[in-house]
Amino acid sequence: MDTDTRDTLITLFKDKLNEAMRFYLETCTRCGLCVEACHVYASMGNVKYIAAYRHEIVRRIYTKYFKGRGKLWPSVGEAKELTDMALEELYEAAYSCTGCRRCMLYCPFGIDTQMLMSIAKLLLIGAGVEPEILTMLADTSVEKGKSIKLFKKGFLAGVSNLEADVVKKWKIKAGKTAIPVDVKGADLLYVALAGAHSIVPAAAIFNAADENWTLSFFEAVNFGAFVGDPTKTKLILDRIINEAKRLKVKEVCICECGTAYRVMKQIAGGYPFKVSSITEVHARYIREGRITLNKSTFKHGVTYHDPCQIARNGGIFDEPRFILANLTDDFREMSPDPRYNWCCGGGGGLVALGEDTLDFRMKSSKVKVDQVKETGATILATACENCHTQLSNLNDHYKIGMEVKFLSSMVADALVH
Amino acid sequence: MHTVYYIILIPMVYVAFTVFGAGIVLRLVKIFREPKNPTTLQIYPEKKHPWLLALYDTFLLPTVRKHNPVFWVFLMLFHICFLFLIIGHLELIGDFTVFQVIPHEVFLGRGFVGLILTVCVLFFLLRRFAYPIRELSIPEDYYLLILLFLTILFGSQMDWARRWYEYGNLSVEDYRTYLSNLVFLRPALPSEITESGHSFMLVLHVFFANLFLMFFPFSQLIHSFLSLPMNKLRRG
Repeated sequence: MDTDTRDTLITLFKDKLNEAMRFYLETCTRCGLCVEACHVYASMGNVKYIAAYRHEIVRRIYTKYFKGRGKLWPSVGEAKELTDMALEELYEAAYSCTGCRRCMLYCPFGIDTQMLMSIAKLLLIGAGVEPEILTMLADTSVEKGKSIKLFKKGFLAGVSNLEADVVKKWKIKAGKTAIPVDVKGADLLYVALAGAHSIVPAAAIFNAADENWTLSFFEAVNFGAFVGDPTKTKLILDRIINEAKRLKVKEVCICECGTAYRVMKQIAGGYPFKVSSITEVHARYIREGRITLNKSTFKHGVTYHDPCQIARNGGIFDEPRFILANLTDDFREMSPDPRYNWCCGGGGGLVALGEDTLDFRMKSSKVKVDQVKETGATILATACENCHTQLSNLNDHYKIGMEVKFLSSMVADALVH
Repeated sequence: MHTVYYIILIPMVYVAFTVFGAGIVLRLVKIFREPKNPTTLQIYPEKKHPWLLALYDTFLLPTVRKHNPVFWVFLMLFHICFLFLIIGHLELIGDFTVFQVIPHEVFLGRGFVGLILTVCVLFFLLRRFAYPIRELSIPEDYYLLILLFLTILFGSQMDWARRWYEYGNLSVEDYRTYLSNLVFLRPALPSEITESGHSFMLVLHVFFANLFLMFFPFSQLIHSFLSLPMNKLRRG
C-alpha cells in the first residue's frame, strides 16, 4: 500500500471517530464474555469470529494511528500498520459479521460491533476493495434517484401487470386503483422491494383496510448501508424522503426489509411524516378492526424469526406476535427471550452477495437451524427479505422441511372478505 | 538505597498522580468533545428510566451475571473490595467520620479486603491463559493484571503483617505521617518508613502502584469512567 492511500484511509478512519466510536475503541477489556454471543463462532468455533477478536482488528489500527501509545510502545496494544494484509483481515471481519448486535447483550459495556465494523467497511471502500456488487447495487439505486423519468415508464408498466394479482386477493371498489402510484395527499407511502412478493400482498391488505395509500417509485433496500458507505446511504434514503415530502404523506411504511426500516426510522428523524414498518401497520389495522383474519388458514404450528434490525435493533417485538395471535392458535416462540434470538446469518449484505457467501452462510448458521428445528413448527414466518432468503437457503441446505413465509403474505392469505 | 527509596516514595508519587490526573482529564475531554452519534445505538425493547437502568448495568453487571455467574462473583467482589481499598487509603491520610458510620479499625477489612483482591486478580490473570480468552488477550491485559497483582500483594502484606502476625514496627500512624506529608506538600520520610524491616514492601507497593497509576489513563481501565455513558447509549 502506498503512502497516499494509507493517508487517505487514515483520514477516513478519523472521520468515523465520534464520541460513541471512541467509547467502543477505548474500553474493551477482552473479558471474553462475548465469546458465546456470535452465531458464527457458535456454529463454526473459530476465534476470529468472536466479537472482541473482530474489534481488535480495527482497534489495533486505531492504536497505531490515533494513540500516543501506538508510537511510544506499540507492542503493548499490538498496534498494527495499515497494510494490504490488514485490509484482508478487515474484509474477513466485516463481511463475516451480520451486524445483528447480539453481542451487545453480552458485553458489560455494550460495545457495538456493527459500529466498529462500519469503520472496517469504510476503509475497504477507501481502498477500493469492498464487494463490488454491493457498490454497483448502491450506485444503481443512487442513479435511479437522480433520473426517475427514465425508470418511471417501465416501473408503471410493471406495477400495472401486478394489479390483477392484487384483485385476486382482495376485490376493490369500482373506480379505485389496485396499486395507486404517485398520489399526492395520500395518507401512507408504501416503500416496497423490487418484486411482486413485496407489492401484491401488501397492496391487498392496504385495500382491505381501505387505506389512502400510494406506492413509492423507489425500492426500500439500502445497499449503501450494506456496503457501509454513509454518503450513498444518505443519497438512497433521500430519494424516499423527497418523494414523501413531495406527496405530502403522513406516514412512510417500510416493507419487510430490516435494514431499510432501521435506516429510515433511525436516520430520517425530524421529518413531517411518521415512519412505520409494515408489521406495525398490519397490527394497527387488526387492532382498529380495519381487517379481520381467518385463524383457520394456517392449520399447523407457526414459529416466528425476529429479524435483528426490526426487533433487537428496531424495537418491534409485540406487533408480529399480536398478528400471529390473530393468525393461529399454535404459535411457538423460537427463543424464550426474543432479544436473544439468533441471527439468521444473512444480514450485513451477506445475502446480497449471493452465491459468493452461500457456503459461509450455511456453515455459520448451524445454531439457527437447531433453534428453528427445536420449535417443531411447520411454518417459519419472518418479516425481512434478507432473513427470508437466508432461512429459505437454510431450509433447502439442511432439509429442515419447513415452509418459510413472509408475515405479510400470511396476513394477505388470511384476510376475511 | 535511601535515595532510591526517596525517589520512589516522594517524587515518583507526585509524578504518578500528576500523570494519572492530567491523563484522565485530557483523555475524557478529548472523548467527550467528539460529536455525538447522529442515530440511536440502543438495544430494544425500550424501557422507562434508561438512566437508572444504565446505572444498574454499570454497577451490578447483569449481563455478566446472566452469562457467566462465576466471573460475575469475582468481578463484584473485586470492584467492591477496590472501593474499600480506596476508602482504606483515604483513612490512612486522615480521619473521615463519614467512613466510620460503621466503626472499624484502620485499615478496614481486617486484612480480608487485600486477600479477596489478590485472589480475584489472580483469577482474572489465570483465566487469560485459558482458551479462547488467551486468543483475545493482548500484552496490555497481562501487564495491567500483573502490576495490579504486585501492587495489591505488597500492600496487603503490610496489612497482614500488622493484623495477623502482630508486626508492630510500621504502624498506621507511621503511614499517616508519610501520606499526610505527601498530601499537604510537605514531603518527608519518617525513619520508621524507610528503616523498618518491612520498608521494602512499602517501597515495592508504592513503586508498582505508581506504575499502575501512570498506565491507567492510557489503558482499557478508562472503562471506569466510560462504562456508565456507554451503558446509557445501549439503554437509549
